[in-house]
Amino acid sequence: MQNADAVVEMTNVRKEYSDSIALDGLSLTIRAGEAVAVMGPSGSGKSTLLNMIAGLDRPTSGSVVVHGSDLGALDETGLALFRRRGIGMIFQFFNLLDDLSALDNVALAAQLTGTSAGQARARALELFGELGISNRKNVYPAQLSGGERQRVAVARALMNRPALLLADEPTGALDSRSGEQVMDLLLDLNQIGQTLLLVTHDGRLATRCATRLIEVADGRIAREHSLERA
Amino acid sequence: MNAVWHAAWAAVRRRKLQTIVIGVVVCAASATLVMALGLLEAASAPFDRAFATQQGAHLSAAFDPAKVSEADLTRAAGKAEATAGPFRQATVDTSEGEVFLGTLTVVGRADPGGPVDRVSVWEGRWATGPGEIVLNRAPGSDGRMELGFRLSLPGRPVLTVVGFARSVTGSADAWVTPDQVTALRPTALQMLYRFGKADTAVEVDAGRAAVTAGLAADALLGTLSHLTVKDKATSELGVFIPFLMIFGVLGLAVAILIVANVVSGAVVAGLRHIGMLKAIGFTPNQVMAVYLVMVSIPAVAGCAVGTVVGNIFAKPVVQDAVEGFGVDQLSFAPWVNVAAAVGMPVLVASAALVPALRARRLPAARAISAGATPHTGRALRIQRRLSGTRLPRSVSLGLGLPFARPGRSALTLASVVLGVMTVTLAAGVTMSMTAYNNAVRPNHTDRVELLAGPPPGAPVFAEPGAERPAAKLSDTEDESMLRSLPGTSAVLAMSQLDTEVAGGTQEATILFYRGDTAALGPRVLTGHWPDGPGQVVVPSRFLNQRGLSVGDTITVQARGNRTQVKIVGVVLTNNADQIFADWATLNVLAPGARASSYQVRMAPGTARDTYTAAVRSGDPGLRVLPPRDGTSSTAVIIISAAVVLTLVLGAVAALGVFNTVVLNARERRRDLGMLKSIGMTPRQVTVLLVTSMGALGVVGGLIGVPLGIAVHQLVVPAMAHAGQADAVDILMDVYRAPALALLALTGVVIAVLGALLPARGAARLSIATVLHNE
Repeated sequence: MQNADAVVEMTNVRKEYSDSIALDGLSLTIRAGEAVAVMGPSGSGKSTLLNMIAGLDRPTSGSVVVHGSDLGALDETGLALFRRRGIGMIFQFFNLLDDLSALDNVALAAQLTGTSAGQARARALELFGELGISNRKNVYPAQLSGGERQRVAVARALMNRPALLLADEPTGALDSRSGEQVMDLLLDLNQIGQTLLLVTHDGRLATRCATRLIEVADGRIAREHSLERA
Repeated sequence: MNAVWHAAWAAVRRRKLQTIVIGVVVCAASATLVMALGLLEAASAPFDRAFATQQGAHLSAAFDPAKVSEADLTRAAGKAEATAGPFRQATVDTSEGEVFLGTLTVVGRADPGGPVDRVSVWEGRWATGPGEIVLNRAPGSDGRMELGFRLSLPGRPVLTVVGFARSVTGSADAWVTPDQVTALRPTALQMLYRFGKADTAVEVDAGRAAVTAGLAADALLGTLSHLTVKDKATSELGVFIPFLMIFGVLGLAVAILIVANVVSGAVVAGLRHIGMLKAIGFTPNQVMAVYLVMVSIPAVAGCAVGTVVGNIFAKPVVQDAVEGFGVDQLSFAPWVNVAAAVGMPVLVASAALVPALRARRLPAARAISAGATPHTGRALRIQRRLSGTRLPRSVSLGLGLPFARPGRSALTLASVVLGVMTVTLAAGVTMSMTAYNNAVRPNHTDRVELLAGPPPGAPVFAEPGAERPAAKLSDTEDESMLRSLPGTSAVLAMSQLDTEVAGGTQEATILFYRGDTAALGPRVLTGHWPDGPGQVVVPSRFLNQRGLSVGDTITVQARGNRTQVKIVGVVLTNNADQIFADWATLNVLAPGARASSYQVRMAPGTARDTYTAAVRSGDPGLRVLPPRDGTSSTAVIIISAAVVLTLVLGAVAALGVFNTVVLNARERRRDLGMLKSIGMTPRQVTVLLVTSMGALGVVGGLIGVPLGIAVHQLVVPAMAHAGQADAVDILMDVYRAPALALLALTGVVIAVLGALLPARGAARLSIATVLHNE
């Protein structure tokens, strides 16, 4: 029975690799507007969990439904189209294209959906304004600070107004000041209704931004807490 | 050293794709190099090589058996270095056979080997019994006859073709067994001589004098010097030389470009690895050694395989090209394989050395981050412009990709350009050869050739058993009759006279035409067809061999009459010893002569059998000649060699593109993973990478086609001049707009074919692995 306001519904998800089990019958539901932080030691399966929800990897068994799409039923093209509109991703190392300016990196996500270059840039400028990096729009990634790069990555992730924002160690490669800025940004986004899933080692990030904390160990949910934001 | 070897071997095993790519590319490049060098070697003095291989005769001589005995000839031959013969020799007229082969010199010979004129049997076998004949034909010639064809001539035994052979000396048109030649009524004895010295006409004459000393003065009927044969072969088959040389050079250039691209790309891709080796204590020289060894291992293996494959694959191609000279079993000179086996690894090491030296000088930290250094300003500007276009984003990103690695893109572009050049040149040469062959050797099914019978009342010479009815009608009546027949479209009456051109060293034949010369005569290239007495047209080879030009006047002499004729034009034929004139000039040299043959063009839909029956009914003296057996073996060989070489060089160029896409995809795997993570479909990733090479393909096509045409404009005249002809418009103006458009597309085809496989592989990259593997 599917939860009506569930953005993510994972049921008995198992992921086996040749020499290990990354997820072992994990079930998880994330509702719209939630900010969920996933924590756990290295190798606990948290990145695999994120990959399953992003459609970057397929479970060995079990089902993953995101925003009404059963990812197991989609082929590679279907998964790509799902990622285009259904989710936005933020990575630890930003993963911006060095060849493109900050603005073009962000506009690219919309252009892939068929949006014209002009409209995509207008939307990107809007996001640059909201994220406070308008003055850096024509700069290339190599010339940006870590915090600025992550803000650009956030803008790119939000470009197509995704139902779910996935963040994989979003502050892991940042200094403390830049990390603070990114945390504030994610908090603001969730407070205006953006559903958020964070995978992090950083307890401060989790407690500050998340409304629910899930601890993963050995491919299972070991503990789950509701959080009061600091 | 042990550490260097271990590190290099580990790198080879870990980088399987790179190892395979280097191995395959070096293998293909080595095979191309063997072919290229083999072609260059084959192109140098092919006649001399073929002559040496066959132990060709320095002098072929025909003696009158009534004046000299076989024993006398054998005794006199002792003064030569080596001899073959005496062989009995017959002359056979095939004009009444199913296929017209002209007059054949048939020699009775027990076997094709021996100390002189080792004839190469390239298809079938040698004649061993009665009723068998072997024809002298260049390999690859596309004749009407196949093995098993029965040559049936009135008054002669039926002969079955059991083999095709080639004598570079041209000692006979066909061979039968010594017993069989008796039934063909031999009229001469053939002797083949090799002399100690025969490099000049004087030395050959001295040899001839030695071997004929003591024989009856009038016993020698005729001789043929190898120098004369060489002149003829060089003019006819020398057309191969510029063709082979240019393909050899192109092959060499493609091989060098691709190896440089692959190896330097591999070194650049490995900079991070080099930095790490330095970080753990390898000295700069050790690091460089690791890298050179890492690249050399697959290169040496690829080179060894490629040299073997090159020999296996290239020999048939080169063999095809030189078979026309009579070479039976081609073996490349040792230097070809040595140059490939040693030269290619040296080339690979040289290509690796420059970037490896750069890496050697780099501090470890910079080497580790070398792959992540920001790109140049130009690439960024171009990407910015492209991002604002209306093109699909996967296409615009792909178009900008080549600018990120301009050096690599330039090498890839160069290999595509060479590929397109090769295709353009090969297509042009093929079209030139086809057009020329069609023009000079028309093999039209709508033509009927008729031989006029002896005039009424004239004595008829015919072989026993052969019926040769005399002409019933006069020359003009025959022409009128032919024109009146249903199905006649055009008629050309022809007569010919052997003539001496005053001041010249060679005799010539004047062909006199009357009737529809525009429809059935040779094509006039410059000037005009004779329109009055004393005017002639000639082929360009006639002019070139005699140093004449249009407008000159020459004196011709025939049947005791002499007249001056003016050259008023040049016609397209392949015979250097032909002059064409109209009937008015015939009346000066041979008043009252009648046409010896007629050529008729039938109207469309006319049945040949019905028409020829009507001709015989109109004048039984008109003999219908069988269709001519006339496809040029030279054209066939050149065209087939061009096709094979084009396919090989095109494939090697595509391999260069393949390698570039592999390297680009490897370097950009994080970017590709990111693009997939934000919704780029596998198809769009494929489009991105294919577009990046397709753009080079378009540019390569636009550059390569004009270059190919330019090379065609150089090579074809060189081929024509080698054949003592002129580069006439029919040879030169072969590129038409549709063909050019198709040729320009070959750049895209090469690029897309080379890029597709690695692009599809890159599209299947695991995003999770790529993005989390920092």
